[in-house]
Amino acid sequence: MLHVNTYVPIYRTNKEGIMKSLIAIGATVAALTTLSATTASAQSATVTQIMERGTMLCSGHNGSYFGFVEVNDKNEWKGLDIDLCRALTTAILGDPEKAQIVPLSWAQRFPALQSGDVDVIIKATGWTMGRDTELGLQFSLPYFFGGTQIMAHGDLGITDATGLEGGTVCVEAGTTIERIVANYLQTIGVTTNNISYESAAELRSAYLANRCDAFAAWGPFLAVLRATEIDNPDAHVILNDQLSSEPIAAAMRQGDDGFVDMVNWTIASLLIAEEEGITSANVDEMVANPPNPRVARLLGVEPGMGERLGIRDTWAREMIAAVGNFGEIYDRNLGEGSPYKLERGLNNLWSHGGVLYAPILD
Amino acid sequence: MDMTTTEDLRARSRRRKLIIQTLLLAVTVIAILGAVRSAQQNLAALGITSGFGFLDRATGWDYSFSLVERSIDDPYWRTLLVGFGNTLFVGFVSIFLSTILGLIIGTARDSAHPAINAAATVYVQIFRNIPLILQAVFLYSVLIHFPGPRQAVTIADAVFVSNRGLMMPGLNLSLGVALGLLLTLLALAVALILRKVPLLRGFGIWLATSVLLCAVTAVVLRPEGGTILSIPELKGLRFVGGITVPVELVAMITSITLYGSAYIAEVVRGGLNQVPRGLTEAGQALGLSPGAIWGRIKVPMALRSIVPPLGNQWIFIMKATTIGIAIGYSDLFYIVSNSITQSGQTLELIFLLMAAFLLVNFSIALFVNWLNARLQLKAH
Repeated sequence: MLHVNTYVPIYRTNKEGIMKSLIAIGATVAALTTLSATTASAQSATVTQIMERGTMLCSGHNGSYFGFVEVNDKNEWKGLDIDLCRALTTAILGDPEKAQIVPLSWAQRFPALQSGDVDVIIKATGWTMGRDTELGLQFSLPYFFGGTQIMAHGDLGITDATGLEGGTVCVEAGTTIERIVANYLQTIGVTTNNISYESAAELRSAYLANRCDAFAAWGPFLAVLRATEIDNPDAHVILNDQLSSEPIAAAMRQGDDGFVDMVNWTIASLLIAEEEGITSANVDEMVANPPNPRVARLLGVEPGMGERLGIRDTWAREMIAAVGNFGEIYDRNLGEGSPYKLERGLNNLWSHGGVLYAPILD
Repeated sequence: MDMTTTEDLRARSRRRKLIIQTLLLAVTVIAILGAVRSAQQNLAALGITSGFGFLDRATGWDYSFSLVERSIDDPYWRTLLVGFGNTLFVGFVSIFLSTILGLIIGTARDSAHPAINAAATVYVQIFRNIPLILQAVFLYSVLIHFPGPRQAVTIADAVFVSNRGLMMPGLNLSLGVALGLLLTLLALAVALILRKVPLLRGFGIWLATSVLLCAVTAVVLRPEGGTILSIPELKGLRFVGGITVPVELVAMITSITLYGSAYIAEVVRGGLNQVPRGLTEAGQALGLSPGAIWGRIKVPMALRSIVPPLGNQWIFIMKATTIGIAIGYSDLFYIVSNSITQSGQTLELIFLLMAAFLLVNFSIALFVNWLNARLQLKAH
C-alpha cells in the first residue's frame, strides 16, 4: 500500500513562495528514498486495481431511479450518475464501455463499497457526517444539490406539510430521506404514520394506489416522477416545504487519497470543460487549436494532467469526447434533452447562478 | 488376561475420542475468536466504528407498525425489540392460523369425496408452488387498491374497510390492561389443556370466561370518563379510536398463512395416510361415524407422524416473516435492514438478527421435541 505522504501537493504551491516548494520537494525526496517502490505519479491502489481488472465497478440501482440511475428494458443503464461513472471509467481506462454497473439497493450500497463489490458509489448519495466518519467513507466534491420534498395527492387540498396531520407518508427504506422526514414532521408537530419500502416500484405503486397520502423523496426525483411516470400530473402537488438541501457526492472507501483525487478531478474537469465551452462535438477542434493554456492543460496538449494522477495525459480529452462536459451530461439526463426537462437552478455553474464550481486547474 | 486387554482397548478408545473432541472444540473456538478478531482489525483498518455502542443512540426514523407506542427518539435497542415483537406477533399468529387451516385442508386432501379432494389439491398446488414473496406482493397490491379512508366501505358505521386496513370497534382499554387480559386468557387456555378438559367443552368454558372477563375489565378499568367501547371515526386523514389492523399486517398474515397452510396440509395428509387401513376399518366395523373415526382413531394415530415435520413447518413460517420489507411491514428484518443503512453497523446488526431467529426457532424446536416425546406411544 502506498503511504499517504508520498503524495505531496508540490504543484499547487507556485503562489505560496519558494520556501514551501522547497520543503515540499524535500519531503517528496525523503518519502521517495524511504519508500523506494513508489513513483512521483503516486497512482492510487484503487486505480491500479481497476486497471488490472480492466473494468470499473459502479453502483447501479435495484430498478430505476429516474434521471440518475435508470435501466431500460434492454438492460442498458443511463442517467446522470451512470454518465459520471462512464466519465470516470473513460478517465482511468480510456473506454466508457468498460464501466460495469452493479445493481444495488440503497441499503446495500455501503456494504458493497466496503467489501470491494464496487469501486465507487455514484448514486444520488448525500454527504452525511455519520457516513463520512463512522462508515469509513470519503466524499468527493458535491456534483449536485437537491433537497427533500413531499408530494401529496391533490384531492387532499393541502399545500404544506402541516396538512398531513394523521396521514400516512411513504419513503424509500434506508435513505437519508427517512430521517429527514421524521425529524421535520416531529419539529413542526405533525403526527404521521411513516411506511418505508425497499423497492422504488413498490413505493410508487403504494402511493399511486393511495395507500399513502404523501410521498417524501428527493425533490428532483419527485419532479421527474410527476412529470413522466404519473398519468395525471395535476392530480399531485409538491408541497411547499423544503425539508433539506443535500450535497450529493461520490463516495469512496477511506484511505486511498489518490483515488479521491482521481474522482474529484474527473468531476472538476467536466465542470471546467463546461466553463470553457469544450463539448463532445468540438473537443478535437479544441485539441488542435487550444484557445488558452488552461484548455491546453486540461486536454493534455500540454503535459501534466495525467502524470499528477498516475494516468494518461489525454484522459480528460477522451472523457469529454465520450460523455461530454457536465452541462451536456445534465441536459441529456435531466434537462432539455431528457423527458424530465428539469431546470438547472442550483446545479448550474457558479458563473450562471448555480453553486457548482471546480477547483483551480493550474 | 483377555478381559483386561479389552478393557484397555476400550479405555484407550475413549481417551482417543476425548482428545479428538477436545481438539475439535479448541479448533472451533480458536477459529471463531480469530474471525471476530480479524473482523475487528479489518473494520478498524477501514476506519469503521464497531461495537454495540450505537444501540443506545436515538434512531431518528419512523417505521410502519408497532404493538406499543413508538417515537423517532427511541434508541436502537428499543426499535429492534419492537421489530422482534412484530416478527413474533406475525409469526405466531400465522403459525396458529396455518396449523388450523392446514389441518382442515389436509383432511380434505385425505377425503374420499372427489370434489372436496380436488378443491384441496388445487389449493395446495397453487399456494405451495408460487413463491411467498410474489403472493405477498400480489395480495398487497390488491389490498391497497381498495377505496381510500374517506371512501371506506363501512358496516353499521362501526367497522370500516379501506386501503389503510381494517378498522373495528375495540374495548376502551389501555395497552397494559389489554396485554394483561390477553396473558390471563392465554394462561387459562394452557391450564385447560394441561388438565385435559375435553376439547369442545374446554373451548366453551374458555370462550364464556373470556367474554365475561373482557366485559368486566372494560367496565371497571376504562379510562376516566371514557366510553366502554371505542368506535373508529374518520378524523382528517385517518381513523381515530377502535382497533386498526393495518393493510400491511393483513397482507403479511394472509399470505404467510395461505402459503404455510399448503405445506402443513401436505404434512397432515401424509400423517393421515400412514394410519393403517385396518384401524379405520375396525372403526367402521364397530359402527363409528366418519367424524368419530377421524377424531378418535385417525388424528390421534396420525399426530405421531405429523408433529416432527410440523415443527419444521413452524420454524419455516417464522423465518418467512422476513418478507415484511417488500410490503412495508416493520418486522425484525425490516428494522435490522433499515438500521444497517442508518447506523452502518452491519456485522453487529446481522449478528443480532441471527441471534434473535436462533432463539425463537430453537425454542420452537425444543417445544416440538417436548410435544413429540409426550405424544409417543409408550409401548411403541
